[in-house]
Amino acid sequence: MNCDSILRLIPLYYYGELTPDEEERVEEHTHGCPACTREMAQQRALAAALDKRQVVAAPMLLEDCRSDLMAAIQGGAPHVDPSAKRAWRLFLDAMAASLSGAPLSGMLSGIARLRQPLGALALLAIGFFAARLINTAAPSATGALLSSVTSPTDDVYSTVRSVQPDNSGGVAISLDETRRKVVKGRMDNANIQRLLLAAAHEDNPAVRVESVDLLRSQSGSTEVRDALLNVLSADSNAGVRLKALEGLKPLAGDSEVRKTLRRVLLADDNVAVRMLVIDLLVANRDDNMVGMMQGLVQQENNNSVRLKLEKALRDMNASPGRF
Amino acid sequence: MAQDAAGTVGARVSPQVDSLIRAAQAGDQDAFEQLVRTYDQSVLRLAINLLRSTEDARDVYQEAFLKVYRNLHAFRFDCSFHTWLYRIVTNICLDQLRKRKVRKEESPTIETQDGPIDRMDTFQEEAAHADPERSLWNRQLKQRIETALEDLTPRERMVFELRHYQGLRLRNIGELLGTTEEAAKNCLFRATQKMRAVLGDFT
Repeated sequence: MNCDSILRLIPLYYYGELTPDEEERVEEHTHGCPACTREMAQQRALAAALDKRQVVAAPMLLEDCRSDLMAAIQGGAPHVDPSAKRAWRLFLDAMAASLSGAPLSGMLSGIARLRQPLGALALLAIGFFAARLINTAAPSATGALLSSVTSPTDDVYSTVRSVQPDNSGGVAISLDETRRKVVKGRMDNANIQRLLLAAAHEDNPAVRVESVDLLRSQSGSTEVRDALLNVLSADSNAGVRLKALEGLKPLAGDSEVRKTLRRVLLADDNVAVRMLVIDLLVANRDDNMVGMMQGLVQQENNNSVRLKLEKALRDMNASPGRF
Repeated sequence: MAQDAAGTVGARVSPQVDSLIRAAQAGDQDAFEQLVRTYDQSVLRLAINLLRSTEDARDVYQEAFLKVYRNLHAFRFDCSFHTWLYRIVTNICLDQLRKRKVRKEESPTIETQDGPIDRMDTFQEEAAHADPERSLWNRQLKQRIETALEDLTPRERMVFELRHYQGLRLRNIGELLGTTEEAAKNCLFRATQKMRAVLGDFT
């Protein structure tokens, strides 16, 4: 083997990625070749230098990441709360046990049968909420575009709200139940849009980003436009605000949109958001914005945003300073 | 050399991890949390080492594990969980690196109230030296290393990171990057050559 082919193998030799045969050949060659021995030493020195660059994440950062993740998951993504499940199971067991000695035990014994009336109540509750979110009076053509799937095996999450004994030795137990439901439909469906508008206010930022991203394609509707403006003004997550801005791009000439954009440019603490707002404002220039931008150049702390403002003003043949 | 937190580089998942995945798939939140804790330290380390920004590393962490959470039901045990997870993580990191290459926005310093500081100094070093001369030399070396790493393509950077710092075998790296072991070998060779050229007299 000549030096050229050995040189190619040296990094792989160092990382233990050669076959035993290849390793032997490299060792044999370097043993009698000062140039390749030097190469090998340099490979080790490079690796040692790179080891110094290794950084470790501060433990607090890892803990922060973990709590952010769990908050995002618990904040809106569907999950099964094991404690709720345990409570539900305990409750059913307790009910079954307490009823087993009673005359009605034949009718009510067994968890499966006990679940039925409670399950029916849960479905009733879903009917109520669905009626609020989904227009059930929609014609049958809409029905083809929008289907809701509720599997009878879906988990029912329940919490006991109150336990009230009455004078006759009985008890009234009030339960809150939640059931997961899947609603499917096309983006241009009004009911789907309404659900997405509701989802844009969910606690979970991941759900908000996805919803706003999907709504972008429907920014022609006034309701969606207003929702995007609302997200841009009020959402605490910059990623969600940026998605809303993307959706507002085609509407950058709309006076209502421009009013909000100007307010956001003055108030938003995120550099990326401010930069994108400038792009949108400049794409449809108007005279009102020159004075505001000139004022802003003086106050802006961030270099990139200031440079962008100055460039925008120059492009509009305006001075970056105010006289 | 670094091993992944679960100690299962490229291997099938251990029985404990296996049962955690099954429990998490069945909706057990505690099991999911334990699963995250088994792997998240190495995921965060990979993201920080690659992106050199705590904010970006946090974003990668959140995006990757949310994806895992949403898609865990689709994990069918036909590859190791480590490979599956790292496919998600490396894809997100590569996207970030590619965007950066386009924007060339990452400056080596961060503006703070006390003036600009070196981005690398915002991290806790694994080995700190009290000797000032040695510190200066280390500082210059670190800057040179950063320059060398910036010269690598996102893919070369990723292969190098996974092999050198995360201790993964090139065969597994090829598998999770959707390429061959041979291509991963070539990437590692090119990355080493480029770094040698930039670091020169420092090594």
